Amino acid sequence: MTDPALYPTHGQSVSPPEVTGVPHASPPVDLRERRRLADRDGLLAWLFLLPSVVYIVALVAIPFFLAIAFSFSDVTAGDPSFDWAGLRNYQNVFDDPVFWQSLRNTIVFTAVSMLLIVVLGKVLANILIADFHGKWLVRFLVLLPWTTPVALSTIAWLWLLDSVFSPIDWVLRELGLIDVNMYWLGKPDLAIGSVIVVHVWRLVPLAAVIMMAGLVAIPKDVQEAASVDGAGFWRRMFEITIPLTMPIIAVAALFGAVLTFTDMAVVYVLTRGGPTNSTQVLASWAFFRGIEGGDVGQGAAIALFLFPLLLAAAIAILRAVRRMDVS
Amino acid sequence: MNEPTYLSRRGLLWLTAVAAAAAACGDTGDDAGPPEATVPAPSPTFTDPTATLSGDLKILLWSHFVPSHDEWFDPFAKSWGQQAGVNVTVDHINNTEIVARTAAEIQARQGHDLIQYIAPLSQFEPSVVDLKDVAEEAGKRHGEQLALCVKSSQNPATGKHYAYSPGWVPDPGDYRKSLWESVGLANGPTSWEDLLRGGAEIKKSKNIQMGLGMSQEIDSNMAGRALMWSYGASIQNQDEQVVINSPETVAAVEFMQRLFKDTMTNEVFSWNPASNNQGLIAGQMSYILNSISAWRTAQEANPEVADDIYFTPALKGPKAALAAQHVMYNWIVPSHARNVDAAKEFLLHYTANWASATYHSKLYDLPAFPALVPQLSSWLDKDPFGAQPANKLTVLKNAIEWSTNIGYPGPANTAEGEVFATFVIPNMFAKAARGELSPEQAVADAERQIKPIFDKWRRRGLVGGA
Repeated sequence: MTDPALYPTHGQSVSPPEVTGVPHASPPVDLRERRRLADRDGLLAWLFLLPSVVYIVALVAIPFFLAIAFSFSDVTAGDPSFDWAGLRNYQNVFDDPVFWQSLRNTIVFTAVSMLLIVVLGKVLANILIADFHGKWLVRFLVLLPWTTPVALSTIAWLWLLDSVFSPIDWVLRELGLIDVNMYWLGKPDLAIGSVIVVHVWRLVPLAAVIMMAGLVAIPKDVQEAASVDGAGFWRRMFEITIPLTMPIIAVAALFGAVLTFTDMAVVYVLTRGGPTNSTQVLASWAFFRGIEGGDVGQGAAIALFLFPLLLAAAIAILRAVRRMDVS
Repeated sequence: MNEPTYLSRRGLLWLTAVAAAAAACGDTGDDAGPPEATVPAPSPTFTDPTATLSGDLKILLWSHFVPSHDEWFDPFAKSWGQQAGVNVTVDHINNTEIVARTAAEIQARQGHDLIQYIAPLSQFEPSVVDLKDVAEEAGKRHGEQLALCVKSSQNPATGKHYAYSPGWVPDPGDYRKSLWESVGLANGPTSWEDLLRGGAEIKKSKNIQMGLGMSQEIDSNMAGRALMWSYGASIQNQDEQVVINSPETVAAVEFMQRLFKDTMTNEVFSWNPASNNQGLIAGQMSYILNSISAWRTAQEANPEVADDIYFTPALKGPKAALAAQHVMYNWIVPSHARNVDAAKEFLLHYTANWASATYHSKLYDLPAFPALVPQLSSWLDKDPFGAQPANKLTVLKNAIEWSTNIGYPGPANTAEGEVFATFVIPNMFAKAARGELSPEQAVADAERQIKPIFDKWRRRGLVGGA
């Protein structure tokens, strides 16, 4: 007797074993069951999806809904018991001038960083798809900022931007460009610039890799035809390359925005929000208020302001990507 | 598209080996270590626990600024466990991570049985065991506990000992003698006016700045409070009412404006907790407010500078001469702790051996019960760990007279803790020093941030005052 589950007939080339004089021994029961399981596409799909679903539910959905619940509660670092607080945390947040400063900083850091990440990522991607000797080494070095843990790389920047021992200052002094140290992290405008530079430095490689994928997908004959027709580098760039890779560029911009908007490590390590909160962002202020200050409810309310802004930005970018027809 | 690979496997292994060798060489620097101690370590004592103990005791504490302390503490704790029948495990983490870790453990209702931090942990009061019995028993055994330690571990509004403070660390001024001699102040500045005059002359003549932080970090918090108290200003009064918006605070802020203009650079707005130490050790600072750990580090890193570093007590202001404690040890037993009895017994044992803690921290940790370290005076007169000259630390003998707790003249309550954590005071000084706000505006701005914090915690019953 042939088990149809063991020998499917939907066009497969598997055939039953030849019958010889020896009596046919049926496979063990557990093997049969396993094969039946392996053939159930719907169940398999769910099984393969399950790790991702568990991951998202456990590490994204639960903390997210917990944060919403906390923001309407009086939960503190020392008192996890949940009591309804209504909108009091939000009211306190709105009355806090540092919150508004943090919100403004977060938007400015994200917008400026995103712009620079996209422009520099595109330039870098163009360089990396070119053929030259030692390209593997250049690609490796370029990707290092992205692969290094953000806290570690920011500590390296902390040393580079040190008020007394900054090697950048030393070089500038040796070149005769400055007389005294710049105090990169001691002046609000320079500190803001420093935070943006670190964000751009660590995210440009990611954007470049994403854009490289788009660039190599452009058929070479399109570029060659344009060249034959007399289009120069800039014309090809703005009339062929950028339009054709715009959806990919938008995705790179979205990644840059999300990763800058939600990051607190750079600010925490580099300035702890100073000087005078001029580099404070929502994520770091939520941490200082909620964890170090002990007011978890208010910290959650601050952190939740990231969500609607990010959601709006993500929807706008993804809808724009969908509208772009590059076929 | 296949990329050509120019690095063979053998080449990769060779490069890896070279890199590993270089890293290993980098790690074996010429570490001469601290000078040998000139007096032996105190002998440990052991008192039988009042009850039979068993099970596990998990301890979490900071990685001490003076590493020899941790080398002593870990076997000390385990040895007590062996004698008392308890399996002790000790975990050290960076001090900046302890608050977040404690909050996470309390939210999860599991974790360590005993947690130590270097500042008051009043925000955790609702979820910790009352340690009044430990404080009282220690008082019975060793005499009266210092007031600043009591005010940093007990909430007068609730009467609860949310923590237990067996020790503390003073925050003297650290100055470069050779620099201050040159401006006629061989014994360093004794008042804030001295600091302004001498610091300005040193900066002008030698281009070496004076370093009081106005950044979003712990030492800046301490420095700002010391200046306020010296001018008779404070955040709260004895009854835990917010009184920061006063002519005294405005005067202190005005003084800081002058001090910054004449003696400092923008560097002080960028500092992290290690910055003033690094500046002093590198010979780039004429004066900082810090514990002796910066100088202990210099003893190894830059002995010439270390020998030139001396200490001053709190600087005199128009009203007082007070400095904040640099470190206030707070031990808490979370409500979720599974071995509360062992935790309390260990705290009593640890307290009884405070002389060892002081010795192995190289006189960094001072006792909350002074009777426990009768040798302290002689150690400070003749440093066993290589001070040049040996009596350099004599100034710390009366440190308790010029030191006080965060929150003075009130207790170190939860509201003071949040004001501390959100850097309201350093930013108040910084905004005026930078010219962003006038002193009056900066003080009013600080008050606007502080009042809601006090109101909030008062509503929860953790801060006193109506």
